[in-house]
Amino acid sequence: MQPLFNISKRLQLSRRAMLRGTGVAIGLPWLSAMESALALTTDESESPRRFVAMTLGLGLLAANLNPSDAGRDYKPSRYLEPLNDLRDQLTVISGTSHPGVSGGHRAEASLLTANPVGSSGRAKNTISIDQFMAKHLGDNTRYSSLVVGSSGTSSPSYTDNGSMVPAIDSPARIFELLFVDDSPSERAKQAERVREGRSIMDLVNDDAKSLSRELGAGDRERLGSYLDSVRELELRLATTQEWAEKPKPKVSMPRPVDIGNPNDFIGRQRLMCSVLKLALETDSTRFVTYHLGGSGGVVPVPGVDEGYHSLSHHGMDEEKLDQLAIVETEIMKAWGDFLRDLKSVGDQGHNLLEQTSILLTSNLGNASSHDNRNMPVVLAGGGFRHGQHLAFDRRNNYPLPNLFVSLLQRIGMETDEFATGKSTMTGLEML
Amino acid sequence: MIMDLAHRLLQPLLLRFEPAFFHRNRVSLGVFFASFGWFFGLMSFALGDENLGALSHESRNFLNENCLDCHSAVDPAGGLNLEGKLKDATVREDFDTWVRIVDRIAANEMPPKDASQPTMEQKTQVVQDLDGTLKRFQMKQFEEVGRVQGRRLTNLQLERTLQDLLGIDIPLATLMSEEQRTAGFATVANGQSLSHFQLEEHLAVVDAALAEAIRRAVSEPDETEKYLSAEGVARKDPKKRCREPEMIDDLAVVWASRLIFYGRLPVTAAKEDGWYEFKVKVSARKKPESHGVWCTVRSGPCISSAPLLAWVGAFEATDEPQEWTFIAWLPKGHMLEIRPGDTTLKMANFQGGQVGAGEGEPQNVPGISLHGLTMRRIHLGPNNAQIREQLFDTLKIEQFENPNWNGDRKATEPKLIPQLVSESPEADLERMIHRFAERAFRGPISAEISQPFIELGKERLRQSSSLLDALRTGYRAVLCSPRFLYFQESTGELDGYELANRLSYMLWNSMPDHELLKLAENKRLLEECVLLQQVERMLRDPRGANFVRDFAAEWLDLRLIDFTEPDRRLYPSFDIIVQQAMIEETQRCLQEMLDENRSVTELIDSDYTYLNSRLARFYGIKDVEGDAIRRVLLKPEDHRGGLVTQGAILKVTANGTTTSPVIRGVWIGERLMGEHIPPPPQGVPAIEPDIRGATSIRELLAKHRNNEGCAVCHVKIDPPGFALENYDPAGKYRETYATADKKKGSGIKVDSSYEMADGEHFDDVDGFRKILCSKPDKLAKCIAEKWIIVGTGGLPTYSDRDELEKIVERSADNGFGLRSILQAVVCSKIFRHK
Repeated sequence: MQPLFNISKRLQLSRRAMLRGTGVAIGLPWLSAMESALALTTDESESPRRFVAMTLGLGLLAANLNPSDAGRDYKPSRYLEPLNDLRDQLTVISGTSHPGVSGGHRAEASLLTANPVGSSGRAKNTISIDQFMAKHLGDNTRYSSLVVGSSGTSSPSYTDNGSMVPAIDSPARIFELLFVDDSPSERAKQAERVREGRSIMDLVNDDAKSLSRELGAGDRERLGSYLDSVRELELRLATTQEWAEKPKPKVSMPRPVDIGNPNDFIGRQRLMCSVLKLALETDSTRFVTYHLGGSGGVVPVPGVDEGYHSLSHHGMDEEKLDQLAIVETEIMKAWGDFLRDLKSVGDQGHNLLEQTSILLTSNLGNASSHDNRNMPVVLAGGGFRHGQHLAFDRRNNYPLPNLFVSLLQRIGMETDEFATGKSTMTGLEML
Repeated sequence: MIMDLAHRLLQPLLLRFEPAFFHRNRVSLGVFFASFGWFFGLMSFALGDENLGALSHESRNFLNENCLDCHSAVDPAGGLNLEGKLKDATVREDFDTWVRIVDRIAANEMPPKDASQPTMEQKTQVVQDLDGTLKRFQMKQFEEVGRVQGRRLTNLQLERTLQDLLGIDIPLATLMSEEQRTAGFATVANGQSLSHFQLEEHLAVVDAALAEAIRRAVSEPDETEKYLSAEGVARKDPKKRCREPEMIDDLAVVWASRLIFYGRLPVTAAKEDGWYEFKVKVSARKKPESHGVWCTVRSGPCISSAPLLAWVGAFEATDEPQEWTFIAWLPKGHMLEIRPGDTTLKMANFQGGQVGAGEGEPQNVPGISLHGLTMRRIHLGPNNAQIREQLFDTLKIEQFENPNWNGDRKATEPKLIPQLVSESPEADLERMIHRFAERAFRGPISAEISQPFIELGKERLRQSSSLLDALRTGYRAVLCSPRFLYFQESTGELDGYELANRLSYMLWNSMPDHELLKLAENKRLLEECVLLQQVERMLRDPRGANFVRDFAAEWLDLRLIDFTEPDRRLYPSFDIIVQQAMIEETQRCLQEMLDENRSVTELIDSDYTYLNSRLARFYGIKDVEGDAIRRVLLKPEDHRGGLVTQGAILKVTANGTTTSPVIRGVWIGERLMGEHIPPPPQGVPAIEPDIRGATSIRELLAKHRNNEGCAVCHVKIDPPGFALENYDPAGKYRETYATADKKKGSGIKVDSSYEMADGEHFDDVDGFRKILCSKPDKLAKCIAEKWIIVGTGGLPTYSDRDELEKIVERSADNGFGLRSILQAVVCSKIFRHK
């Protein structure tokens, strides 16, 4: 018998614990990608809203990203120039950051939680915005959220109890999870493994309770979070069983081949985005976090011969700045193509881009000095009144968590706050 | 990977424009303390006595009279509203704020110099008073719930424990997600988490471990061996341009070149995941006059779509052929690459990413000749029969024909199915699962505890009528139990088993062995002399070599050594061989200090180090020959001695391009000197490092020295950083800064003089080291604190302070020897109580 690998990997995709009664009906996966996800509107009073966070491990050079002038008539910056056809689909936001968050690379943990984790790493993290959305609105799809990465398991997504959600960095694997049905015998085997997994969770649940009676009050508290995890996993295994019986949507794209070279940052970005587009299009999930963490090596683009991470420590060296700009321009171009791809899907005057808020950001406002202020922020799609450069004070930053409040309201959650965000973002209107 | 970074490592140059710590705004202060607050909040319910923690009348008066002017409710200085705190007048809330208050009064930092001063007696009195209140309160808490709760095994500990428990040798930590580290250490219980994601992942790890254990238990040994001649490892088609060695004079030759994967040996590709031992016989070609040809041995798929190579080892080839032995974990399909790897060698150029036979020879560069190699698949640890005994005791295995097997070679079903032979499967199942649970839970268990696991196994037995399947299910559940994943410690003094576990996970990062458990059972381990004997035995044990390695990986960030790569244009002589030697240098020095009970001051300054010829050449130290790392006596002009001058430390405290006195200063302060440097205030803009050569860091920092607010922390942070400015980001000694623009000539001259926080001046790193070495007690306390963390899983607390002093005093009798400090830690009340 094979180990439980398949199941467990599958489960790394965040999955809402329970299917609501109504959710089952509207959550039926798409039989064909040719059918637009937006056809859902007939079943729901409003078509589903989606959210994609794309987070960069090494920031973007502010001077090349932010236009020099504010407002609607801004002149496109070097990085926005290739995206000028999408101008009225995006807003570039400067002069914002998360209040109280510092710690350079470590602040990656706070990027989507806006929680000042503390630079010494002692404090606990809180739930990230994508997981918060997935927790409340994620139970209609096969996967409540997808957390993926370019390289490695790091992600800025955190659960309720402050644990990191590991990213999956293989587009081929994600494709399998989304679109490839297992053989009947494999399904039977998996069902058995899941069933046994559930009875084990049942057992250790009781075991933990009896252990906590033996231990002191403080330990009991800690075991409480273990118990929560056991119960959560048990429920998730139950959902897995239900979804496992339903066929996965079929798509015309062949199974992608992973790019082995971890330094091929752009190639990996494009490949992952092609799978993410399908995930959204087939309504396999509505909440995606894609962490574009850098491997440190030389990105294979003409004109670049130094490692990406080393370039980000440019020390104002002109040659390094030049090479870094080449890499980052390619990242922006690939991002633009992703937006265009989403825009091309849909009908009846709606397209996937309009339904999907896509946030591109990084915890590093300046990678060379590891400054966490003045973060790079570009928001696209999702049904906001775009087409402007929202320029806030670079010296006294505007709280970025307010943007999270805007995003939550846009997605249909009635909330006035998220972490240190206490209102929606000034100047950003919903359509 | 980037997440993985300890923040201190690459922290920006932070200049504090804002007044220091206590003058910060309320939010940041709150955030800083919130980290501790939840911990105590958690425990406060346990405390019944309302008066415990209440401030004395005298303390209240003192604070009222001397502090309230500035720390009032309206616009409190540094965000500290004492007026509010005095209403409650208890340390039950915001314990750590109160600690900070006492410390700042005791250090004569508060009230500030320009405010009216209480008398010395008044100060002493209030400090004593508050100190007593804090300690009584905290010790009462610890009595009731212990210092540390709910500590669980780290990734490394899980891996080793599963390996020891099951007898297997496959890597498992690579299947686990990165874990959170607190103060650099993964074992700190307060920072550990276990989400359902991790639990799921754990299930997968357990399954991988059990699958391997059972595979080996039921099958014949899988060790293999093959010999490959020079011809056997060389390219098959001499006319084809490729990256395999070429045959010259009956030997397989690889020239020095930067071409990726040149020197790959496809015949060494592993047929199965596993450990492989290679014996390689090599000689040098066209050897440089002054040294041999240093080579790297690495492994990987060696194809351009997967360019990562794992480190296997290095050697220095000479004219005389020699044989070297390497052991490597190779995933299926991975192969060796053996090539000259010394970046200072003259390199050949090859066109189009391939090497044609005969193209290297005329370029007159050094190279190596492979004479042949032996490849053996091996296992580390127990053999298959021993694993069988570990899992199934004396039960025999029999292979049965699989009725579903369809005779196809590609069949998914195996032809034979192994089964355990048992007269009474139920009884064997009960016995085996109970035995396994007892080992996995690392202490005696009642029948009641193992019962549910046995029941689960029995259910499975009824379904599948396979004892093997049933045992697997039972074992799987045991390994998901919190009794396996967590330390089980009850309040008060630890019992024998609890102590055995702490000790074993501290020194081995694995489960206690038979001897420890035996001594736990008869309670002899609780006797101090027995405890110390065990420390000696465990460090001498082969597993004991892990202690220094594991500890230094976290304490000194050695696990992050290759996070940055020194800029090749600025630091051209650095290469991966140098880097590996640096790590070994630091580990060997620490090992010697521990083995020989050397004074803790040797962390700062010593007249010896460990080098091989490559690292010695990099450092510019003469007369060190050979590729084995060896002890070398240092001369003053070598500018080396002590961890602070070792390449590994200098490299992990720099970002590859520039050095920063602030980053190095904070690092040395926290890791070696025991300074507790508060996190940088928020909203402080960072200085950008500038390598254009216009401004030195000293000039950039200088103007802020005069700002009193910045100075409070920077007088502590900057001195070690400036002292180390003579070492570049690659760890080489320098007199001038490197510049990116070579045309402008050499950079600014390095000035490494500065003064300590107390005003004592030093001229350079030698002066700095002298000052540090004059305070061995401080150094001893610092390392004792780290050992308290890895030993107990809890950060040092306020009420640990007295006991830490005792540890230091105890080791003073032996000249603050490293081994004595470790012994004192293990015997301390902190280590021996929950």
